Amino acid sequence: MIKMSEVDTKIKEKYYEPENFKLQFKEVLTDYSKFLFKPGKEDEELKKRDFLYNRLKSKRKFATKLDNTLTKIGLVAVFIVICWAVFAPWIARYNYFFVQGIDYSVSWYDPPTAAHPFGVSKFGRDVLSRLIWGARSSLSIGLIAIVMASIFGVIVGILSAYQGGIIDSIIMRIVDIIMAFPGLIMIIIIVSILGNEMYYIMLIYGVLGIPGYARLIRGSVLQEKTKTYVEASKVSGSSDWRIMFRHILPNCIAPVIVAVTFNVGGIILSLAGLSFLGFGDYALIEWGTDINIARSRLTTAPWASIWPGVGIFITVLGFMLIGDGLRDALDPRLQGKKKK
Amino acid sequence: MSLVKYTIRRILALIPILFGVLFMTFIMTRYIPGNPFMFAIGEHPTTSQIKAMNEMVERYGLNEPILVQLWMYVQKLFSGNWGVSLIIRRGTPVWSMILDVFPRTVEIALLSVGIATGIGIKAGISSAVNRNTRKDTFIRFFALMGVAIPVFWLGMILQFTFGYRLGLLPSTNYFDANLDPVPKITHLRLIDTLITGNLIAFWDTVLHLIMPVFCLSFIYLAGITRQTRSSMLEVLELDYVRTARAKGCKEKDVINKHAFRNALIPVVTVVGLGFAGLLGGAVLTETTFNLNAMGMLTIQAINSIEYDIINATIFIGTIILVSANLIIDLVYGIVDPRIRY
Repeated sequence: MIKMSEVDTKIKEKYYEPENFKLQFKEVLTDYSKFLFKPGKEDEELKKRDFLYNRLKSKRKFATKLDNTLTKIGLVAVFIVICWAVFAPWIARYNYFFVQGIDYSVSWYDPPTAAHPFGVSKFGRDVLSRLIWGARSSLSIGLIAIVMASIFGVIVGILSAYQGGIIDSIIMRIVDIIMAFPGLIMIIIIVSILGNEMYYIMLIYGVLGIPGYARLIRGSVLQEKTKTYVEASKVSGSSDWRIMFRHILPNCIAPVIVAVTFNVGGIILSLAGLSFLGFGDYALIEWGTDINIARSRLTTAPWASIWPGVGIFITVLGFMLIGDGLRDALDPRLQGKKKK
Repeated sequence: MSLVKYTIRRILALIPILFGVLFMTFIMTRYIPGNPFMFAIGEHPTTSQIKAMNEMVERYGLNEPILVQLWMYVQKLFSGNWGVSLIIRRGTPVWSMILDVFPRTVEIALLSVGIATGIGIKAGISSAVNRNTRKDTFIRFFALMGVAIPVFWLGMILQFTFGYRLGLLPSTNYFDANLDPVPKITHLRLIDTLITGNLIAFWDTVLHLIMPVFCLSFIYLAGITRQTRSSMLEVLELDYVRTARAKGCKEKDVINKHAFRNALIPVVTVVGLGFAGLLGGAVLTETTFNLNAMGMLTIQAINSIEYDIINATIFIGTIILVSANLIIDLVYGIVDPRIRY
């Protein structure tokens, strides 16, 4: 055991004594400066350290598997977009609450200036502010819809696969019918029946997402159902619900998690398409709606319709990149084979 | 023999799905508030106009109970009478409207899926072979970009740069309306113009199609590349690939002949479903480029509540999708001879 006081004195000796300081300085110059100019692979010592580090580092750790350039880019992109959504009133210069980001002092479709770095859209709406505010509506619709779809989809899928019989075939026929529809057109029809309010749009995406998850999890539950551990838990007297949600579910959840991250992106993309076609909620600030409004002025005011698209692109790309990384990390077939 | 039995069984299983979709579409469209005649009388109708509208509603049976209407519609559908357009092109039979529009969709879909498949498979294989190198990262990023990019936004950027700034390509429409009309032989404009030797019209159509086909193939390229990559990665780890290498096959043959053949099944699925989806109408691309094909017709029909057109287009789209599923399953047997029905 080393006492803390000893450590203190050692540190003091090393760093605060004038003659030692000289030594330290020399060390920095000669020993460490080479790391600045040499790539790590060429230096013998660094190579050894790297090797040791990689050997000691746990290959099974989840965070290690996610350590990937593309996944990092995705995380950064999603982080930025979430920051936009959460801190929109503080970041955006023109506020939503009163005037939907409208600056009355400029004329419509003004080119970019210092006050409006990305230009001005119809009614004098500041494009940058609306780009930032748009994150809020897209993320909230996308995330709530996906939570609804995945939870209900998983429950329906497990019930259907585990119970089997007539319930299973009825549920699967309904799923087949809904999946056979052209997706966007079905959403448009339902939006035109219910009206284009935000809550309806959330609900539609949530409900129409259920069949996909049900079918996704059904396949793996059918496989897991026949395994020995299910029989064992049956013998030990656990109820059906316990077997379904405590034993089978954790073994089938990995593809669902991957699908959720992909589908958040998918829903945001589809939502943008929906509002691009003019079926979005006009009371919200939303990227697709902005593009739809400014599209007719593409030749004279390209900034008004190009910049909102950047928002969609960054958000969706971020979620897709994370989903890709997660899929590689969660895939049992690829485990332990990751090379650096 | 078993193949025929399998096909028949599958087709019989498709019928309830088709009817389900038809009934659902029908009932949903009838619940859209308003009726098609509403648009004809305008915003401030007089009493006589409202009376006329009600008469029309009565004549088309829109006041009947919904199940009666459904029965009438199914009878009409299977006797070959798909109804008449009421608003979009007044008096034109729906069937001939679809015949006008559908070949365009086929043309666009064929071109873009062809291009996307060719490039996507190559890119996917090279990404899987060079796994975790810089090339792989680059291809994966590009493929993800294709999945993540909103197609209308990509289209608008292309329109702005190539159509407006550089002035190289026409940015909207399917062909130049000022040209002489081309006789409809196969209804595919590219082939028709070639047959009649009308090279000006052919070149004009090609120019009009470059940007939409680029957009669509960029999107589908992404899916195909990703699918090829992941299934190739799975196959490349298998024992028989190592055996092939050990017995001294060329690396090219190992990948193209041994590994790729076995990785093809998921790729076939993605290509087939993508093609079927495109045939059902690429709504966003068509709207961006004003192509006036299947998807745009459906949107127009929804906007003006044309029940018959909505039902017909969705019905056709669904038939294509489910039969594509069937065809994909049959193609599995050709791709992989181990699969028996």
